[in-house]
Amino acid sequence: MKSKLIKLMALGAIAVFSITNASAETLRVGMECTYAPFNYKTADGELAGYDVDVAKGVGKIIGADLEYVCQDWDGMIPALLANKFDLVIASMSITEKRLKKIDFSGPYRFSTGQIVGAKKTKVNLFDDAGNPIAANFQGLKVGLERATTYSSWFEEELPGADVVLYDGSEPLYLDLMNGRVDLIMTNPMKAHLKFLSKTEGTKYEFKGPVVDEEKYFGIGVGIGLRQGQEPLKARLNVALKELINSGELETFAKKIFPFKLHKDEWGQ
Amino acid sequence: MEVLNGWWDDYFWGAIVVAEVFIASLFLMILFGLIGAGAKLSGSRLAQKTANTYTVIFRGTPEILVILLLYYGSAITLTAIAQIFNPEIRFVDVPPFWAGTIAISLIVGSYATETFRGAFLGVNPGSIEAARALGMSTLQTFIYIRIPEMWRIALPPFGNHMLSLTKDTALISIIGLNETLFVAKQAITVTGKPFTMYIVVGAIYLGFSTIITLSVMGIEKFGNRTSVGAK
Amino acid sequence: MSFDFNLILQSLPQMLAGLGITLQLLLVSGFLGLLLAILLLLMRISGKLYLNSIAQVYIFVFRGTPILVQIFIIYYGLPQFEAIRESMFWHILREPTGCAILALTLNTGAYVSEILRGGVLSVDKGLLEAGSALGMSARQKFIYITTPLATRLSLPAYSNDVISLLKSTALASTITITDMTGIARTIVADTYAPYEVFISLAVVYIIFTFGLQKLFGVIERYLSRHTVREE
Repeated sequence: MKSKLIKLMALGAIAVFSITNASAETLRVGMECTYAPFNYKTADGELAGYDVDVAKGVGKIIGADLEYVCQDWDGMIPALLANKFDLVIASMSITEKRLKKIDFSGPYRFSTGQIVGAKKTKVNLFDDAGNPIAANFQGLKVGLERATTYSSWFEEELPGADVVLYDGSEPLYLDLMNGRVDLIMTNPMKAHLKFLSKTEGTKYEFKGPVVDEEKYFGIGVGIGLRQGQEPLKARLNVALKELINSGELETFAKKIFPFKLHKDEWGQ
Repeated sequence: MEVLNGWWDDYFWGAIVVAEVFIASLFLMILFGLIGAGAKLSGSRLAQKTANTYTVIFRGTPEILVILLLYYGSAITLTAIAQIFNPEIRFVDVPPFWAGTIAISLIVGSYATETFRGAFLGVNPGSIEAARALGMSTLQTFIYIRIPEMWRIALPPFGNHMLSLTKDTALISIIGLNETLFVAKQAITVTGKPFTMYIVVGAIYLGFSTIITLSVMGIEKFGNRTSVGAK
Repeated sequence: MSFDFNLILQSLPQMLAGLGITLQLLLVSGFLGLLLAILLLLMRISGKLYLNSIAQVYIFVFRGTPILVQIFIIYYGLPQFEAIRESMFWHILREPTGCAILALTLNTGAYVSEILRGGVLSVDKGLLEAGSALGMSARQKFIYITTPLATRLSLPAYSNDVISLLKSTALASTITITDMTGIARTIVADTYAPYEVFISLAVVYIIFTFGLQKLFGVIERYLSRHTVREE
């Protein structure tokens, strides 16, 4: 009797929660939802951005329905591993460190970083070869988002820097403008579009060259998925290649930027 | 103020989510509180020790930590349990709504355990004796004497527990629940006006708190309508 | 499901490095909050309508909104205004620690003032009458009778609030502060092992809470040393 009761309660508990089988029918996609112009929510409550377009495009080609799950960036990989969603389409760079824990599709966007700071902060942060000069970072506060390629780069290249870690990317810009941090390192495309080219950003500029060392930034940004799902990965890659070759990926980019965000050779 | 245009409906739906969490967690909180109080008042040493462990754990751990743990950990644990019954199941997932609701119910439930326990102990023994003298059974005594008297004592602190539940809902935004604070974060990405957005969130929660406080006051008046001295 | 004990051993010292900040937040906010609470209490029992009303509104707002929202409004919201950034307050508001202490102080001040007020109202009227009979002025009664008694009566509820304050310090991690929870979240982001890290962090907080409860128990017993104990 007791075991029956336990079984009944367990079934009831399972019935309350959603049981999902990683089928091709519905795939849950995790993204930050606060990372304009790549993935964000509009006032109408719709998700929009480059990553969202890529997701929709891929979903259509592989014939899967997509559900979107919003997740704080620093919990993105733990959430993927905990089966909160099946794919990460959130401008996540394909790095060696991440490949140890999860798998990635081929790349669908460049991955680069650049430092932004106030024009009145007159420092030479990089030498002519493009290497950072550690001594010139002294006394400056640097704002970075946790668990990003930028924080990894800083950890390895400038371990002595005064780094402040944030939960999201939006607060970086806010606190740079407030003067809470002197420098931030972030995606240069986003920085230019959403900040430097606007009135709020006129007093700020890039403080160094674009950094794209593969060690930290990988070969690009890809779709993240759990390891051991070769068939799904293959379908994703086919879909991405089709988006590249058909020119659709370029149209996604041109909606936001006057240039495309990928290398054509990724379509081979 | 125009910056809020287009976001009002998002905030509205976020407020609905807060209400949904409140109702679900209220039910669970009462359940956990009664079970805990029952365990502590029972004679069983095992039940008391278990209940004490429950209260120590959930009164001593920060709410945000409980929420994060239940969100990440629950899937792993439940999957392991589910696979005992049906090895075919690949994984069981707990959506943020339930992870968060259960988390805050467990936390406030541990406080409610103490409240209910104190309230049960506060029931006038004379009333119990009178009920027995009148020939009422244990169950009748429980339903007609203990519960009504216990509720009157428990109501003020219980009102506070309800307020805690409401406010803890804001913490569930950390695991992606689409309530008002979460809406605010998304709105800030587009509008760049954090003060405005967060003040709206504060106002919505203040509204909920007011409704709850007024309701509790009303229930208290109703519950005490037969008491001597009540106006 | 494998449990990585090695990871716990590695991350515990890192998280405990944040203990200093946690303590700083707790003690400074606790102390300043107590001062604020006393001020609010005096305003509430002053008998002057305008003081009472201001205090009541303040308490209503700060107890009716989630502390996380209050933290965000202060840290992210206030800098939206140029006036704030130019003012002398910017020195404090610029630092996340300053913002956290401010938010925690304002919040705990509201709660503790109500606790103190409860204690003041619980003082036996007979003792105050005795004071009047002895010719004490209202001020003397307040200092020599009400204050010592109210302090002892408020202590249980106050200890609960201090524990709540400790748990609220964990929220400082959401505004970049590297307290224990902040460090834990960074470790989780690097190692992708939320279960092990968060459980060990929870154990640290529980031990801390336990210690605080014992401490308050000692203080309560000391203050009650002269009262008659029922055998």
